Amino acid sequence: MSMTRRDLFKLAGVGALTASIPSVGFSAAERVKKAEAILPPSKGSRVVVCGGGWAGLTVAKYLKKENPNIDVVLIEKRPNFFSCPISNEWLAGLVSLDFISHDYNQPASKYGYRFINAVVVGIERDKRRVYTNHGYIEYDYLVLAPGIKYNYDAWFKGDKNMAYYTKVNYPAAFIPGSEHLALKRKVWEFEEGDFVITVPPGAYRCPPASYERAAMIAYVFKKNNVKGRVIILDPKEDIAPKGPGFRAAYEQLYLGIVEYVPKAQIKEVDPVNKVIKTTAGDFKFADANLVPPHQAGELVWMADLIAKDKDGKPTGWADQDPLTFQAKADPRVFLVGDVIGGVPYPKSGHMGNSQGKIVAKIIASRIAGKDIKPTLPDNTCYSMVNGEPQEAIVINVTYDYNDKEKKIVPKPKVINERSESLAKATYEWAKSMYKDMFA
Amino acid sequence: MDRRDFIKTCGAIAVASFLDTKFFSEALASQEGFLKLYSKAILLKEDGTPLTEKDIAPHREYIFFYPFASTPCYLINLGDEVKGAQLKLNDGQTYLWKGGVGSKKSIVAYSAICSHQWSYPTKDYAFINYYPPDKPSETTKKAGVIQCCAHLTVFDPKAGGKVIEGPAEVPLASILLEEEGGKLYAVGVLGKDQFDAFFENYKTDLRKEYGSTAKAKELVDKCVVMEVGKYVKEIIRC
Ligand SMILES: Cc1cc2nc3c(=O)[nH]c(=O)nc-3n(C[C@H](O)[C@H](O)[C@H](O)COP(=O)(O)OP(=O)(O)OC[C@H]3O[C@@H](n4cnc5c(N)ncnc54)[C@H](O)[C@@H]3O)c2cc1C
Ligand code: FES
Repeated sequence: MSMTRRDLFKLAGVGALTASIPSVGFSAAERVKKAEAILPPSKGSRVVVCGGGWAGLTVAKYLKKENPNIDVVLIEKRPNFFSCPISNEWLAGLVSLDFISHDYNQPASKYGYRFINAVVVGIERDKRRVYTNHGYIEYDYLVLAPGIKYNYDAWFKGDKNMAYYTKVNYPAAFIPGSEHLALKRKVWEFEEGDFVITVPPGAYRCPPASYERAAMIAYVFKKNNVKGRVIILDPKEDIAPKGPGFRAAYEQLYLGIVEYVPKAQIKEVDPVNKVIKTTAGDFKFADANLVPPHQAGELVWMADLIAKDKDGKPTGWADQDPLTFQAKADPRVFLVGDVIGGVPYPKSGHMGNSQGKIVAKIIASRIAGKDIKPTLPDNTCYSMVNGEPQEAIVINVTYDYNDKEKKIVPKPKVINERSESLAKATYEWAKSMYKDMFA
Repeated sequence: MDRRDFIKTCGAIAVASFLDTKFFSEALASQEGFLKLYSKAILLKEDGTPLTEKDIAPHREYIFFYPFASTPCYLINLGDEVKGAQLKLNDGQTYLWKGGVGSKKSIVAYSAICSHQWSYPTKDYAFINYYPPDKPSETTKKAGVIQCCAHLTVFDPKAGGKVIEGPAEVPLASILLEEEGGKLYAVGVLGKDQFDAFFENYKTDLRKEYGSTAKAKELVDKCVVMEVGKYVKEIIRC
């Protein structure tokens, strides 16, 4: 079931609109009601891609590559792109901001898709309309690639003030923007004491990111002779993936600086008194990177395409066909990137890029009236564990489809021995990914 | 094949056809769009004399630039005969690869621009490399392969550069070699070359290294072959 008009207004009223629409005597809800189409009807098939991150950018470009006649519209709320991959290296001062930021105009003009810098505020699947703060756009196919949202409710049970306080004072920095800049400032200004990092439970964006971040922060502390410790509170029993590689780095490079605490499921977060209560004990912190549990980005909820568990409760992740990425409830909608659920894929940029190419092929062939057999994506993930010299470890996972059991089976390969070569390969990985999406 | 390629091809055929007319006419007839013949370029040693088969030690990785001044290729003597193979592109089209050249038919050459996202050997680093039988890759445990460390695609040099695993969707383009009177020549490129993407993506780097894009795109008529380690500062293995 798609969103009703009332729901849409409710949503718009929450405030996504208020910043960008001039107030001329209408309420936000009224403004949406008066929304007009911002594009003329398409002559051919129009695909609207919501979210210009790793997945959405790839879908948009590769759709145009598959068939330049498809009218591709990419809607993204950020004016420019900031990469989470390599942001930990940037946090540690190893690369400049230039390396990880990119402009949206380059790929739009080069590949001929339309880039609309707007916020998606509503989706009406029955009308095939996407509402933005500038008006609505009609689609033949819709791709939702909004990434993740934070689930602070899991910690604060709906206390919005507490969530806001935590977000501003101890930003998670798993969604790019100010949070990353704030985290960098905190790390470089840190003077002494315990700096706590929480690893989210369940599925979350980039499983190794927190461990890499811990290593990079520890590197900064070591370099700046800071009397500080980095404490990683992990609900899991052990570090994964690349456990031995991270462990070796913590023990050999950051002994006494990094403390890894397994089985630390969070019972209570008190950001005001700077205490976290966990199943592995209570931890007081001087500063922190408090990362709450993750869920699929808001747009998937808005489109009512979240999967339900056996008890009918939302799983938090999209309900899509594992092979075609098509929404189970709506053949015209494709879900891609970190939002997807029910598959053994890690939520990574590489994965989003790999899936994006598959989705572009599937949509282009649907438009051409053909059906193709989808291929499976793959993932390569480098993690920097040392800053001087720069050294990294790597995991690569390819997937097989077990036809009998109808299951996707991961085949991981790991190098846990850190090396300077792998650090260089980390940047080569990123450079060529950025080139693939932007150049 | 566009008009420019076609003209280039015709010009090159006139030169190349006396080598093996039958092969080229057959190849062209069946491989239109896959085979591009460029200027016939002789392979030379660093001292400027012609490279011969005995100069190519088995399982070492040599680099040369063809068909453009800036497009790197790898030359490898795989030791044993390498038979021809049929290669498949992601759109289902197929083309034939002729196999190795030389007395043992063991010498092969490939474009060193990764067909995934165009990682290529520069003077600083080579992330895409040949892993000889005695030096398997640490990640994939595969040996006798060309592997790219950017995103770990593995290519098979014994089968026309076909993808064994990893994200690349098309084979490495192969460089068509011919032997004539003991001398080796590069005459064309077979498969889906990545030259357009390469020139587009590395504009700034190429301009820095070659002075101008035009210089980087100059066609060559001779290629100096050297061991990769001599050209790049660091071979990155993974
Ligand atoms: C610290 C860190 C390190 C990481 N390192 C790596 C790594 O080394 N390798 C790797 O592969 N992955 C890494 N990742 C993971 C990677 O960042 C994500 O998996 C990837 O960004 C997911 O892509 P996506 O397109 O699904 O989402 P995103 O890239 O987040 O893109 C979603 C986009 O949708 C937009 N959007 C959302 N809602 C709306 C709306 N209502 N209207 C308009 N636009 C909207 C957002 O602004 C955003 O640009 C890392 C993540 C973190 C946090
Ligand atoms: S560029 Fe070589 S595997 Fe991606």
